[in-house]
Amino acid sequence: MLENFSFRTIVEYLPLFGQGFAATLWLSIVSFAGALAVGIILCAMNLQRSRLLQLPAKIYIDAIRATPLLAQLYFLYFGLPRLGVVLPELFVGILALALNSGAYIAEIIRAGILSISRGQVEAGIASGMTYSQRMRLVILPQAIRVTIPPLLGQAIVLVKDSALLSLISVAELTRAGQLLASDRFMPAEGFVTTAACYLVLYYGLKSLAAFSARWLGVRPIGSRT
Amino acid sequence: MIEFRGVNKWFGALHVLKDITLSVEPREVVVVCGPSGSGKSTLIRCINGLETIKDGDLVVDGQRLGDRATNMTELRTEIGFVFQAFNLYPHKTALENVTLAPIHVRKIARAEAEASGREMLAKVGLADKFNAYPSELSGGQQQRVAIARCLCMRPKIMLFDEPTSALDPEMISEVLDVMVGVAEERMTMMVVTHEMGFARKVAQRVVFMDAGAVVETGTPEEFFSDPKTDRSRAFLSKILRH
Ligand SMILES: Nc1ncnc2c1ncn2[C@@H]1O[C@H](COP(=O)(O)OP(=O)(O)OP(=O)(O)O)[C@@H](O)[C@H]1O
Ligand SMILES: [Mg+2]
Repeated sequence: MLENFSFRTIVEYLPLFGQGFAATLWLSIVSFAGALAVGIILCAMNLQRSRLLQLPAKIYIDAIRATPLLAQLYFLYFGLPRLGVVLPELFVGILALALNSGAYIAEIIRAGILSISRGQVEAGIASGMTYSQRMRLVILPQAIRVTIPPLLGQAIVLVKDSALLSLISVAELTRAGQLLASDRFMPAEGFVTTAACYLVLYYGLKSLAAFSARWLGVRPIGSRT
Repeated sequence: MIEFRGVNKWFGALHVLKDITLSVEPREVVVVCGPSGSGKSTLIRCINGLETIKDGDLVVDGQRLGDRATNMTELRTEIGFVFQAFNLYPHKTALENVTLAPIHVRKIARAEAEASGREMLAKVGLADKFNAYPSELSGGQQQRVAIARCLCMRPKIMLFDEPTSALDPEMISEVLDVMVGVAEERMTMMVVTHEMGFARKVAQRVVFMDAGAVVETGTPEEFFSDPKTDRSRAFLSKILRH
């Protein structure tokens, strides 16, 4: 089998994979930034007392988590033009990823905030802090520490999910693999190369996670209280 | 300084505070004791609004809680609260713990807040721990930082909710010594504790609670040597046995 495996073709296609790699990388970064914004807003709504703010956030989060990303992507890709909104594929793809990941990120952040003990909140209240001072000085700095590792986990998921954008013909990594596969009838070469590129991205994010864990570990965090 | 008049509170169907009438004069030290679940924590948590009351009047430093004119956030800056579980900020050093509220709530300049923070930490015997994180401190040290954290706000009232009951026996006295020091500076204090030595030494009055009601009040001398009710006698025999 291996003698049929054409490394030469892969080399020939390397520039295409390079472009795909770069595209996946930057569209993931943009989507993740968008997802963070969506997540923070959803989480802020979800933590409010008011039902009026809480309920839409809860419904949105459930709807996203209950349905496949592919369905969401097609919903935007085919649905938006019907509503008269025509956007470039790339934009639709980024939007879908941001809206999807945002729902998961909202829950990650919420879990981080809720993991901070009631005693911390009460210490802040008792010293005369306002709600926003408590959030800014006491709760969020602690919540961020517990939130970063799962956020990077979500970033890894997002990178892999971005492969679905190949289905709406966004020129990214998986698309590069598809092109090689269909132009030269070499699916093995195409998708092995694609997989190898994702592996590189995965290890990049994983070492970032390890680095951040070490960095966050610099300050010992309450083991007793 | 603190006045309860006919205060009632419920947790759902549970009547936790029953018609409490009680007042604490300026510079008075009052010890509150009673069996577990009798409502001691709830009582002192009402004073700084960590719990809200259902009916009756609670007046603190001249302001009636629940009134529109009463700014609770502002009032709390005048009331220090020491928790059983310390509740230090784990992501802040000892010095940062004691300067956080002075800087952000009292709006004191950082340099000034740090100077008085160091002074206060030194006073509670932690001059060598300015830069230690809570997780690097023993329970007794953490509780002393927590007391210093309150004192740095220059409060008019200090409330303590079983400040030594989460501590190993050998650390209890270092915390009590600090509290005695605070009392000797004529702070208005309300202390939930079963440390009878502390009560005898600094308290002007002991309040005994049972099942949500104040059952007996008296000087430590009266209360410990001649408890008036069956319930206080039963309680004292239990805690004095060991
Ligand atoms: N948030 C709450 N919700 C419902 N019930 C509560 C709540 N907090 C306290 N209680 C109940 O109210 C009663 C009084 O509680 P409180 O904590 O004031 O007692 P305590 O005298 O401080 O007891 P302990 O010595 O165990 O600390 C208890 O029966 C307790 O279970
Ligand atoms: Mg209690």
